[in-house]
Amino acid sequence: MTASGTIGVGLTRREDARILRGETRYLDDIVRPGMLHAAFVRSPHAAATIAALRVPVGVEGLVAVLSSADLGGLARFPVTEPPGSQIEAAEAHPVLADGEVRYAGQPVAMVLAASRALAEDAAERVDVEYEVHEPILSPRESEHVMMRWSARRGDVDAAFAEAAHIVSGSYALARLIAAPMETRGVVAEHDPELDMLTLWCSAQDIHRPLAQLAHILRRPPESLRLIVPDVGGAFGSKGVIAPEVAAVAAGTLAVGAPVKWTEDRLENLIGAYQGRGMEADLELALDARGRMLALRARLRADLGGYLLTTTPIPPHTAGTLLPGCYDIPAADVQVLGTRTNKVPTGPYRGAGRPDAAYMIESLVDAAARALDVDRVALRRRNLIRGFPHRTATGLDYDSGDFERCLDRALDLLGPVAPAEPGEVRGQGVALYVERSGGAWESAEIRLDPDGRFRVASSANPHGQGHETTFAQIAAERLLVSPDAIELQFGDSATSPAGVGTFGSRSVAQAGSAVAMAADALVACGRDRAAQVLGVQTDRITHAASGFSASTGTVSWDSLAKSTSLGPLRAEARFQSANVFSSGAHGATVSIDRRTGALRVDRLVAVDDAGIVINPLLVHGQVIGGTVQALGECLTEEAVYDEAGRPGARSFLDYSLLTAADVPPITTAEVATPTPLNPLGAKGAGEGGAVGALPAIANAVADALGGVVVTPPFTAEKLWRALQEQSLRARGGEGSS
Amino acid sequence: MRISVTINGTSFSDEVEPRTLLSDFIRHQAGLTGTHVGCEHGACGACTIQLDGQPVRSCLMLAVQASGRSLRTVEDLAGPNGRLSALQQAFTDHHALQCGFCTAGFLMSADALLRDRAGTHLTEAEVRRELAGNLCRCTGYEGIVAAVLSVADPPLAAE
Repeated sequence: MTASGTIGVGLTRREDARILRGETRYLDDIVRPGMLHAAFVRSPHAAATIAALRVPVGVEGLVAVLSSADLGGLARFPVTEPPGSQIEAAEAHPVLADGEVRYAGQPVAMVLAASRALAEDAAERVDVEYEVHEPILSPRESEHVMMRWSARRGDVDAAFAEAAHIVSGSYALARLIAAPMETRGVVAEHDPELDMLTLWCSAQDIHRPLAQLAHILRRPPESLRLIVPDVGGAFGSKGVIAPEVAAVAAGTLAVGAPVKWTEDRLENLIGAYQGRGMEADLELALDARGRMLALRARLRADLGGYLLTTTPIPPHTAGTLLPGCYDIPAADVQVLGTRTNKVPTGPYRGAGRPDAAYMIESLVDAAARALDVDRVALRRRNLIRGFPHRTATGLDYDSGDFERCLDRALDLLGPVAPAEPGEVRGQGVALYVERSGGAWESAEIRLDPDGRFRVASSANPHGQGHETTFAQIAAERLLVSPDAIELQFGDSATSPAGVGTFGSRSVAQAGSAVAMAADALVACGRDRAAQVLGVQTDRITHAASGFSASTGTVSWDSLAKSTSLGPLRAEARFQSANVFSSGAHGATVSIDRRTGALRVDRLVAVDDAGIVINPLLVHGQVIGGTVQALGECLTEEAVYDEAGRPGARSFLDYSLLTAADVPPITTAEVATPTPLNPLGAKGAGEGGAVGALPAIANAVADALGGVVVTPPFTAEKLWRALQEQSLRARGGEGSS
Repeated sequence: MRISVTINGTSFSDEVEPRTLLSDFIRHQAGLTGTHVGCEHGACGACTIQLDGQPVRSCLMLAVQASGRSLRTVEDLAGPNGRLSALQQAFTDHHALQCGFCTAGFLMSADALLRDRAGTHLTEAEVRRELAGNLCRCTGYEGIVAAVLSVADPPLAAE
């Protein structure tokens, strides 16, 4: 390994060997002495009042059945208020149902027993009487507004009054399930002497779960310790603790024994917060030359039965991002999040970004059809070309080269080949911006006497590869091999303060903090070397060999061993505004005329994540995200029946794509560095999931001659659309 | 009741309830937590192990059904001193894992596939079809397929 030039190198991951040998420790692998197991009694009804709850007696291994009344004094979930929004905090999710249930699957009571099997046995025997009510399932029919946000800038009414063209469209995205391969879970243990409650939690980070638990349990944060072990994926779904996690924490305190809860797949499918669930009516005003003048949008979000901590975030993000990559001087965007009798929604990979990209990119294609102009030409006419750029919704885009992304995607996509007999074929292209970064993270670094650098980062990973990436960042600044650097994460007792791992922000924020901490350590090293070499600090040069002056050289190794002055250590906190990744994706699709079956022939993904630290891992993020978007287009939808019962109850009902379902995906990179951080890096975690959705949707609409179908693009929906299209065509022929 | 199995070449015997799943027996009684449980209904393949050399989903079997038989789990793949097998090395070289929760299942399926198909030409389409019994939510499968093809013997013919 060379000592410098490690940024931009596709190093394989240092995380892998441990995983490949089966030496990992995920949540369910954690065992504490005397540990009890929790199972939950859940509402089978979408809307009901709880009339009575009867606890079984004489059940083997049963320790306790705890309901809301038994866990008195708990607060409801804290709710984040996006800037400029109004939130109904009284609609926050309770830990256990408090007299009523608002979705099927809501936890009503917790059963603690000697084993998981016995806990599940006992849970089946808890008898709950419900008075069932009529559920509200459509966000449009709901009168319970839980969240509002709006933005208005420019003279929108005048723009629409003067417009040569007004194009409108209505678009919707189904509810989706994040479905990480590892479900959620917790082990809680209380030390009564220190009054310290320790929780091992399958979570995205330590900071947000700890803050949520402190609020709900009404305990000072110092009396909680949160440890995040290996995490088997999250995709946004482990940023807010499960209500069950808070119940387990409270139950541990109530019974005085450690408690474990490992969510099963059914619980995860029906009880974990879901993604998307948004619909919007949009109108775009354009002048005679196809310049976009103003955007009007009414966005409705299906928030589910209660607000969890981040439930208001995705609708707000979608609202702010609706202008996409286009220079639209005026906008009037209103977002309304309403209550329905379904599990709450929250962030799922993209978290408002795919929603916005799908809506605006579909509308731009609709505008091109209405104006009878080329889709790409219409985009080029309206792309944002100068940075920084303030959108009419109030975002500040820092950097990008949208046209270069578009050009590259078109090059890779090539011309569409003629359809096979019996098929219709379409091609689509879409641009996106990905809000990433923002807020702050921190890092500590020290050089130990064994010559190794130990870096503690506030942002811990759940599959992304922070250990490898952050070691590369530190190595580049220290001018040492990444092999000399160890990373530490995920324990609130030792971790530096931070915000969390979400929204494609880790490299931009936490990576920048690591870079700055390393720079600070270099400055310390320079000072020490100056003392040793008896020269002024500014006479010292730092190179791979160490710190040099005309009088000699001091290596990192010798600084590490000279312990008389104490170990070398440094820390840094990095804060910045949001940075905006972007990209252009393309798709070619074919639809069987007789069956409506969709085949995605190829996908193209061009992403601009700024300066890339590790291209191998960024490529992995792009492909993984793209395939999640493909799943959203082909199969994924969390359906509910007319009584509000969830239809997705196993992986046979909620079908994730397999290796056999994935077409060739071609990727390319554009790198416009952000000026907002020392690495020039932007986020890469969500772009694939954002860009591929509108690209495929536009390809499908293209194949269908402009008929818009809501994803997932099932054979039935496409077959119906083809019938509609051929009826229209015949009608058209008849009238001409 | 008491059952005895051979796990990774070593005999292991313990009391089980008739309803104990093989996956729970391996993880919680034999203590081999490298095998992961993703769905408990046979759909995700994370718990795939080899039973008498054949890949099976350990969540779809009762522990008692494995009595007297030979089990192989992910812990047995690496060589002495933890040296990664060619397949394991290919997984890291091709970035075939992210969160790692599904990885053991893929390794056990792919290891059996490569053994069964040694000496015949595996195509990419075949590998994709054969691995369609294992779900991965992170990688989009590209690295996994590339890793398996890279250690196929004979190597993938130019297509």
